[in-house]
Amino acid sequence: MGVEFEPRIVAFMCNWCTYAGADNAGVARLESPSNILPIRVMCSGRISPEMVLRAFRAGADGVLVMGCHLGDCHYSAGNHRTVKRMPLLQNLLGYVGVNPERLERVWVSASEAPRFVEVTKAFTDKIRQLGPLAQEVTE
Amino acid sequence: MIEEIRKTVAERLNELDGVVALRRTNGSVAPYVFQKGDDLSELEITPKYPLMTVVSRLHKLFPTIRLGIVARGCDERAYVEMAKRNQIDPDRLFILGLACTAEEAQACYCGDPAPQHLVVGTKPAAGPPNPLVAKYDSMPLPERRAFWKQQFAKCIKCYGCRNICPECFCEACGMEDAAWVEPGLLAPIFPTFHLIRALHMASRCVACRECENTCPAHIPLTVLYDLMRRDMGDLMGYVPGADLKAQPPLSLTLEQAPLRQEAGH
Repeated sequence: MGVEFEPRIVAFMCNWCTYAGADNAGVARLESPSNILPIRVMCSGRISPEMVLRAFRAGADGVLVMGCHLGDCHYSAGNHRTVKRMPLLQNLLGYVGVNPERLERVWVSASEAPRFVEVTKAFTDKIRQLGPLAQEVTE
Repeated sequence: MIEEIRKTVAERLNELDGVVALRRTNGSVAPYVFQKGDDLSELEITPKYPLMTVVSRLHKLFPTIRLGIVARGCDERAYVEMAKRNQIDPDRLFILGLACTAEEAQACYCGDPAPQHLVVGTKPAAGPPNPLVAKYDSMPLPERRAFWKQQFAKCIKCYGCRNICPECFCEACGMEDAAWVEPGLLAPIFPTFHLIRALHMASRCVACRECENTCPAHIPLTVLYDLMRRDMGDLMGYVPGADLKAQPPLSLTLEQAPLRQEAGH
């Protein structure tokens, strides 16, 4: 690849923890990758596998599913669904030959602005290494 | 064996409103509700057909009806998952269990070829696991992708896999929702259609193989569903169809149904 590849990353963030964390990162003038397209949802438990698949289909090279740490969920157990669902989806992606690392589930709290930056940077770098998803899907 | 079933059905018809089974008429076999006075010599046990869907429909249409069913192992497993999700009323169903033959178990790669409520026949040895599962499991990613892309490209989107499935009873189906699957596109765009179904099957699939049998494009769907079933067992210790009391873990909290593997942070 001659031209440098810049991945497109869809990041689902829960309203109460991760989105606030991302917001705080901005307020603190921490630099996070511009590859991230944030989608705010009320709870990470709202993120159905269909939504993740649609993000991939719509051209995302990687998808981040982010929410409150276990035990901190605003709805007490919404993220318990996320923690069970996402490994299944990751495995399924692997079974059909899409690199499962293109999907990652991370907990980031409202007070973890530096962690938000760290996580998004690391994920963007990882996807940059993996290359475009379209290349994988259309040979 | 079939005479034994006919006899048992006749006995049960004295107390039940009807017994769901297969019936041969005009040279073909179809599901039928046998009632008192019907000619039980028309009752058949082959080919295999997911009869629990019929029970579910009748239970909803007639809220007091008491039915029996001639059920194979997979029918009973389907019943277990459907009853948990309020599609069948266990108090109004009598299961007349029928063991499959060893050949049938082998052809279905069936791990449990007889129902727990076994009335007729003896349980044969379990069939071997689907060899395709092990084969594709050990394939590197690009090869798997090439394989499944080729398979999914054959899909004519007939929804046969969903329609035959005893566990597919949602009134609104994600595979028909334009938000998740574009209408009017053949074959459905990878990775949507089949992956949505595979995920929904994770805590439901009872390995009856009807979807694969019915698929006109011969897509080996149950390979994916077998893998999802395995993951449900590994991650959450849940085996669909095994236990009427075990609740599907995906909608429960971690306290109610913990993950077996480390959840990470």
